[in-house]
Amino acid sequence: MAEYRTHMKIIGDILATTRDDLRDEDGATVTYLIRKANISHSRISRILKTLVSQGLLEQVDSQGSNKYRISTSGREFLQAYYTFTNFANNFGLSI
Amino acid sequence: MEFLLENILNLIGFLVGLAIGIMSIIGFRNTGSPTLFRLTIAFFSISLGFFVIWAGYMAEDFVIKSGNIEKGIQTLGIGIQTVGYFFIAFSHSIKSFFPKSRYFRSVGIFPLFLVSSAQIEHIFRSVSFILLAYGAIETMLSYFENRNKGAISVAIGLALLAFGEFLGWYSFVFPESILYSVSMTIKIGGLIALFIPVSKIPLTKIKFDEGLE
Repeated sequence: MAEYRTHMKIIGDILATTRDDLRDEDGATVTYLIRKANISHSRISRILKTLVSQGLLEQVDSQGSNKYRISTSGREFLQAYYTFTNFANNFGLSI
Repeated sequence: MEFLLENILNLIGFLVGLAIGIMSIIGFRNTGSPTLFRLTIAFFSISLGFFVIWAGYMAEDFVIKSGNIEKGIQTLGIGIQTVGYFFIAFSHSIKSFFPKSRYFRSVGIFPLFLVSSAQIEHIFRSVSFILLAYGAIETMLSYFENRNKGAISVAIGLALLAFGEFLGWYSFVFPESILYSVSMTIKIGGLIALFIPVSKIPLTKIKFDEGLE
């Protein structure tokens, strides 16, 4: 059975993908993120827009296509996300 | 200082609850997670409940000096703690806490206006016991799923809090006995067990970020 992911977990997965999976400094394409985060195009578009507006991701215009890379704030958020995921797990909860 | 032990235990309860509440609010401010918001309310309520009872004992010791803590203050403190226990249980997705039938809802609410504060205290304690037992069982089940060792400590902590509430409720049978102090000691042991895994969370690089929601 597929594991239920909270909105927060999906955001964590997207940020972790842009931080850990990419050697390319130009960032990740939407197609790559859709495949890695395993969500629909319409949903990831909304999430990416929010993450860019919050300053957690940076939008890069590379050879005519939009790419996304994690910002310093995004790295700090991801660290906090992992820390408090562990905190919530101790209570048998997920954030 | 007639109530020295009660004063110390309630103060420890206040501080431990406050510490976990602060951890939760830092988590909420950094991630915006609703789960952490519920834990924030839960532990600030628990902390405030202990504080109210502690303040009641202090007022009794230094101002009123009647030899007995005002029952209304104790009931208020326990009621506030019950709100905190509710939010812990609610975080585990309680789905059937409130009865759907209008008749049962009225039966559930009206007796609160008809009974004394001492009886309301017993109602709060029994509700707290149910909520805490539920939280302990759910946390233990999550341990079996994730094998997160911290969950064992939290489950034991919630179980001790439940047992402490049960003894506190039972102490009305033997009002002047040591049972109340034993109940308080077990509850503080429960809070400390909750705090052990929380204290291992590294917060050194976590900071408030006003821009995050």
